[in-house]
Amino acid sequence: MAEVRLNNITKKFGAVTVIPDMSLTVPDGSFTVLVGPSGCGKSTLLRIISGLEMPSDGEVMIGGEDVTFAEPSDRGISMVFQSYALYPHMTVAQNIDFGLRLAKTPAAEREARVAEAARILALEDYLDRKPGQLSGGQRQRVAIGRSIVRQPKVFLFDEPLSNLDAALRGQMRVELAQLHQSLDATMIYVTHDQVEAMTLADQIVVMNRGRIEQVGAPMDLYDRPMTEFVAGFIGSPKMNLLPGAAIGRGDVKTVGIRPEHLRADPETGDWPATAKVVETLGADTVVYADAETLGEITVRLPGKMRLSAGERLFLSPEPGNLHLFDEDGHRMEQTA
Amino acid sequence: MATAATSRRLPASERLRRSLGNGRVSAILILLPPALILFTLFVILPLGESGYYSFFNWNGYGAPSDFVGLENYERIAGHSIFHKAVGNTVKIVAVSLLIQMPLALALALLIFRKTPTNAVFRLIFFVPYILAEVAAGLIWSFVFDGNYGITASVAQSLGMDSLFILADRDWAFVAVMTVIVWKYFGFHMMIYIAALQSVPEDLIESGRIEGAKRLQIVRYVQIPHIKPAIIVSAFFAIIGALQVFDVIIPLTNGGPSNQTHTIVTYLYTFGLTRLNIGFGSAVGVILFVAAITVAVFYQRFFMKGDKA
Ligand SMILES: Nc1ncnc2c1ncn2[C@@H]1O[C@H](COP(=O)(O)OP(=O)(O)OP(=O)(O)O)[C@@H](O)[C@H]1O
Ligand SMILES: [Mg+2]
Repeated sequence: MAEVRLNNITKKFGAVTVIPDMSLTVPDGSFTVLVGPSGCGKSTLLRIISGLEMPSDGEVMIGGEDVTFAEPSDRGISMVFQSYALYPHMTVAQNIDFGLRLAKTPAAEREARVAEAARILALEDYLDRKPGQLSGGQRQRVAIGRSIVRQPKVFLFDEPLSNLDAALRGQMRVELAQLHQSLDATMIYVTHDQVEAMTLADQIVVMNRGRIEQVGAPMDLYDRPMTEFVAGFIGSPKMNLLPGAAIGRGDVKTVGIRPEHLRADPETGDWPATAKVVETLGADTVVYADAETLGEITVRLPGKMRLSAGERLFLSPEPGNLHLFDEDGHRMEQTA
Repeated sequence: MATAATSRRLPASERLRRSLGNGRVSAILILLPPALILFTLFVILPLGESGYYSFFNWNGYGAPSDFVGLENYERIAGHSIFHKAVGNTVKIVAVSLLIQMPLALALALLIFRKTPTNAVFRLIFFVPYILAEVAAGLIWSFVFDGNYGITASVAQSLGMDSLFILADRDWAFVAVMTVIVWKYFGFHMMIYIAALQSVPEDLIESGRIEGAKRLQIVRYVQIPHIKPAIIVSAFFAIIGALQVFDVIIPLTNGGPSNQTHTIVTYLYTFGLTRLNIGFGSAVGVILFVAAITVAVFYQRFFMKGDKA
C-alpha cells in the first residue's frame, strides 16, 4: 500500500518536451485514472512511474521512498500493457508465475499464489494453455493475474481494455473495480474511455499537452470543470460550448451546457433549431441539431420522446447548469 | 458433411468436372510440370548420372566402360584421408553449432536495435560473408604467413620463433576453422538480428518489470521468441559445414600432409584433379546421402512447426 507522488517531473525526448513540469499525488489505495487526448503524455507519465522511462528532471516517490533511479522491479509496482505482453512460449501458469520464479519465491508459495490469482480471475481451467489459445478477455486476465501474484503496492494499467469488444470491456471493468476493492492497492490507470474513467476512478487526472488540467473526483469534474478543455473532454456526448452571446453575456467567452441539461419543446424556447441527426439509443435519444446563430448543438432527451430528422424544435438550457469560461478558458463563478 | 455425401453419389465425370472447376486441380496441372521438369533436369539427372558413374573406373573421357561395382566405395571406406576428412567435417559442424552460432547470437543481441552505430557494426560484421570465399582464403593465408603475416610479427614481438600455422599439422585445421567462423558468423547474425527485431518491445519491458535481469530477458524472453530462427540457422550451419570447400583451397589446399581436407576438398583432390571421376562420383553420392539424411532427420525433429 503506497502513495505515489510526482515532484516537478519533466520529460524531454531530444529537443521535444513532452511533460513540462508536473506534480501529482496519487493517494494510497486510490484508483486514479489518467485521461487526455492522444499524445498528451499519459503513457509517458505511466512509464516514468514504472521506471521504464527516466524523467529528465524531478523525482518519483512511491510509499515515501525516492525511487527516481530505482529499477522497475525494485519499485513494488506492476504494469498491465495494452498488448497484454504475455510470453507466447509459456503456459498461462508459467506466465503468471514468471516474476515469482525470478524472485526465487519458494515453490509452495508460488503455487499457492498462482492458484489464488487463477481463482480470482476465473482462469483455473486455462492454466496449461498457451496465450495463443485464449480469447482477448482471457489474455487480459492472465496479464492481470501476472501483475497481482507479486503483490505490488501500486498497479499501473496502460489502456488495458482497449483491445476488447464493448461487452467484454464492460465485464472486465466490473472485475477491475472488484479487484481494486479486494486488493485495496493503489491503481493508476490510463484510458481513452469516458465510461471507464467515470466508473472506475475515485480520482481523475485530466491531462492536456503534458500538463494537468484538473484533478478531482469524477462527479466534481463533471459538475464543475475548471477549464474549457476539461468541460469539453469529460462527459459523453460532449458538452456544448457556445459563444457567450448565446445567453446575452458579453463578458463570457464561452458558455458550456451539457446535452442532458437542455430541454426541447416543439413550440417555445430560447433557441430555435432543426434536428439533423437523431440517434435513438433506447434509454435516451441524442439529437444533433442546427441552432441557427449558435451552430451545432447536441441534445440528450428521454427515450420516450419521439423526434425525426428535419423537425423544428426549441431548445432551452436548464437554469443552474451553465458553465461559464473566460478568455483564457478558465471557469468563471456563475452569477446568473 | 453434406457436400461430401453428395459428391460420393456423383458420377466420376461430374466429380472431375467439379474439381477442375474449383481451380485446385487445374492449378496443379498447370504449375506442376515446369517445376517437375526443372527438378528432373537439374537435380535428378545429375544425381542419377553421378550415381551411375560411381560404379565405374572412369577418367572422364569417352563413355564409362570399366564397370567395377562397389570398388570405389570400398576404396573410400578404407582410405584414412577420407576418415580424416569426415572427422574434419564433423569438427566444422561442431564449431559452427557451438562457437559460431553463440558468437553470432551474442553479437546480434548487442546490435539488433536500429541505431546508426549499430548499422555500422552490422555492416562491418557482415563484410566477411559478402567477400568471395577464395578472396577470404587468400587474405587469411597472408595473415597466417610465417614470414610476413600478422601472426608472424605478433610471434616475433613476443620473442617466439616464427609460426607457420598453416604448415603445422596440429594447428592448420584450427586456423581453417577460425577462418570459417569468421567468414560465416555474419550470416547467422543477420538471421538473428531480423528475428530479434520482431520481438515486441512490450515483452522485454514487462520482463524488466517482473524483475528479469538483462541475461534473464535474453534467456526467458528473447531466445524462446527467436527459436524458429535459431533452428533454421542451425540447419544452414550444418548443411553449410558439410559443404565447406572454397575457403580451404587457397588456405591449405588440404595440407599439410592432407590434414585439413573436408569431404568436398577430398572429393575435389582425389576425384577431380586426379581424373578419377568414378571415384569422385562415389564421394559425391556419399556426401549427398549424408546431407539428405541430416535434412530429413532435422526436419522431422526440429522443424515440425512450434506447437505453441
Ligand atoms: N520514445 C520516444 N521518443 C520520442 N518521442 C516520444 C517517445 N515516446 C513518446 N513520445 C512522444 O511523446 C508524446 C506523448 O506520448 P505518449 O505515448 O505518452 O502519449 P499518450 O498520451 O499515451 O497517447 P495515446 O493516448 O495515443 O496512447 C507524443 O507526442 C509522442 O510522440
Ligand atoms: Mg499511450
